[in-house]
Amino acid sequence: MRAPCPVLVADAVGVVVEANARAAALFPEPLRGARLADVAPSWLAEAHQRVVLTGEDSTEPVRGRHAQWSLEGHATLGPDGTVVWWLADDTERARTQAALRSEQERNAFLTEASTQMLASLNLDRCTELAVTLAAEHLADAAVLVAPAAGKRHPLAIGFDGSVSHRSLQMDPSTVPGLAEALQGFPPVPSRWIDPAVLPDWAVPDGFTGPVGSVVVTPLPGPGFPAGALILLRRSGRDAFGPAEETFARVFAARAGAALSAARLYQGQADVTATLMADLLPPLLRQAQGVEFAGGYRTAKDTERVGGDFYDVHPGAGPDDEILAVLGDVCGKGLDAAVLTGKIRNTLQALLPMADDHQKLLALLNGALINSRHTRFATLVLASVLRQGSLTRLRLTSAGHPAPLILRRDGTVREAATSGTLIGVLPDIRSTTVEASLAPGETCLLFTDGVTEAKGGPLGEAMFGEERLRAALGECAGLPAEAVVERVQMLVSEWIDDNRHDDIAVMAITAPHTTHLAAVDGHTPGRYTA
Amino acid sequence: MTTHYDDSFGLTTTWDDNGNARIRITGDLDWDTAEELTRTAADCLRTEPAPRRLRLDCEHLTLCDSLGLASLLMIHRHATEVGTRLHLTNRPAALQRLFETTGTSHVFGDAASDAHDTDRGNGGEQGHAAAARAPRPPAQP
Repeated sequence: MRAPCPVLVADAVGVVVEANARAAALFPEPLRGARLADVAPSWLAEAHQRVVLTGEDSTEPVRGRHAQWSLEGHATLGPDGTVVWWLADDTERARTQAALRSEQERNAFLTEASTQMLASLNLDRCTELAVTLAAEHLADAAVLVAPAAGKRHPLAIGFDGSVSHRSLQMDPSTVPGLAEALQGFPPVPSRWIDPAVLPDWAVPDGFTGPVGSVVVTPLPGPGFPAGALILLRRSGRDAFGPAEETFARVFAARAGAALSAARLYQGQADVTATLMADLLPPLLRQAQGVEFAGGYRTAKDTERVGGDFYDVHPGAGPDDEILAVLGDVCGKGLDAAVLTGKIRNTLQALLPMADDHQKLLALLNGALINSRHTRFATLVLASVLRQGSLTRLRLTSAGHPAPLILRRDGTVREAATSGTLIGVLPDIRSTTVEASLAPGETCLLFTDGVTEAKGGPLGEAMFGEERLRAALGECAGLPAEAVVERVQMLVSEWIDDNRHDDIAVMAITAPHTTHLAAVDGHTPGRYTA
Repeated sequence: MTTHYDDSFGLTTTWDDNGNARIRITGDLDWDTAEELTRTAADCLRTEPAPRRLRLDCEHLTLCDSLGLASLLMIHRHATEVGTRLHLTNRPAALQRLFETTGTSHVFGDAASDAHDTDRGNGGEQGHAAAARAPRPPAQP
């Protein structure tokens, strides 16, 4: 019988009646006359029985292994009750399918791992995920060696479903390939690494039995490596093969990218936090019984440090003027934060000049002028002094929206001060106005983030000065804190979900209390509620 | 929404035959676009010889925020350095108000005189660039 594939014919009782040369080559025992069950693999003998019993050709081929091959059997039923078995060697296909399956699984794992690791910009979380995934899917244990912080390398050890952290002063050259991996060089092949030379720290506590094979692979990052990953397998398990090593490298590349992103983000977050600590508006308080309340809402952007700021500097003595400042620095983000810091520090140093606003602003302006850029600041200075039942104000705007003054009867008027912005022009001018507040009256300082807040029913209208005045008019007699809260609430409602700039407001409210001057009228007074 | 703003930003630079440059600003001058205006104006002011006048036509300027103002101040600084007169023509009310609030009106000169300021020997505000210097391509938005 000539056929391009091995062919067997067996009768109804399972005896081979015919076999071609290819079939003979496949099965070492003599075929003709032998029982199929004796010479062929059991899966074929069983399939034969089924075909005989049902009397139907199998529509689906049967598959099974025979020696080193993977075979596929197609049955055709002969007229005399014999069954012809056409056998095909599908070893290659089975291998390809298995390879494809494992490739698909690896890809699915990598995609899932990347998604998980990139989902967190938290460095610790990201590190834990990387070692957990590596220990679970690539090895028995994984040790992530982060770049040295100072002299010590932070380690994250993943083993047995948990992650432990430690930091260690160690010599990376004690683990073959580690020093190179930490510098981002391609990994040393696993077969060159002798598991016996691993230092104790590289093997997790509770790792039973000797380490069978080791992979050390860099965690590459953009510009600088994010560390190295050590993968350990027990001696009982298959050693790392070249395909697995490649896979480990691909995994490490993804982990490295995620870790680097987290590290960069953390770096930026740290810088921002440091700046924030210094730049966040202070909690305002009373001075001389005058209430100061501030409210600050940063722009809804990722850069959390904004360009608005306020400060209250109590005078040196209880009868000295208090200087309140509210300002707005052009731009946003770090540039704005740095300029804000400069302004606040300079103002602090210039406090002794606060009795002359023009002089103070001129000095501040000189300190900020810079030939490289024209970033400017606008601000309002309010010098506050309590005199008997009146609270006296000196107000100066340096290019800033003028403060609003709220009277007891609910009328609101703008303080007639104006001036030049600070930090760009060599000559600046400004006018200072004096105002006095009766008990319960308020002076409101605000940034243009309030009046220019876009929102409203159509989302495009500015909050505007008219609305601000109307809102303030309803706050007559309220304490400073309540005025700030009310204004902030109305602006927030107006903005709803729209983008907005920084918004800062400060209320200065004259106390309802009576100033009990000491007998001679010069020593510090007391206040009653 | 009844109002619809075309938020595409654009700068169109033209030169007249007297060596005066004009940049027409269209759209919002803010965080995203201010730098581009500063650069475009710097390119104009760097030519040899420097233009006698640089006009910034603000007719189609829809918004100017603090960075927009910083850009205008930077252009003013550059212009002063090279001896070019800077004019801001067709100022929208909001821009003029911004100058007043920030005390910078005097820097940018009189709005009224700029509003009627025309190029001698040219078609005025229509922006017809004459032949002596070829119109430059508009800046990429």
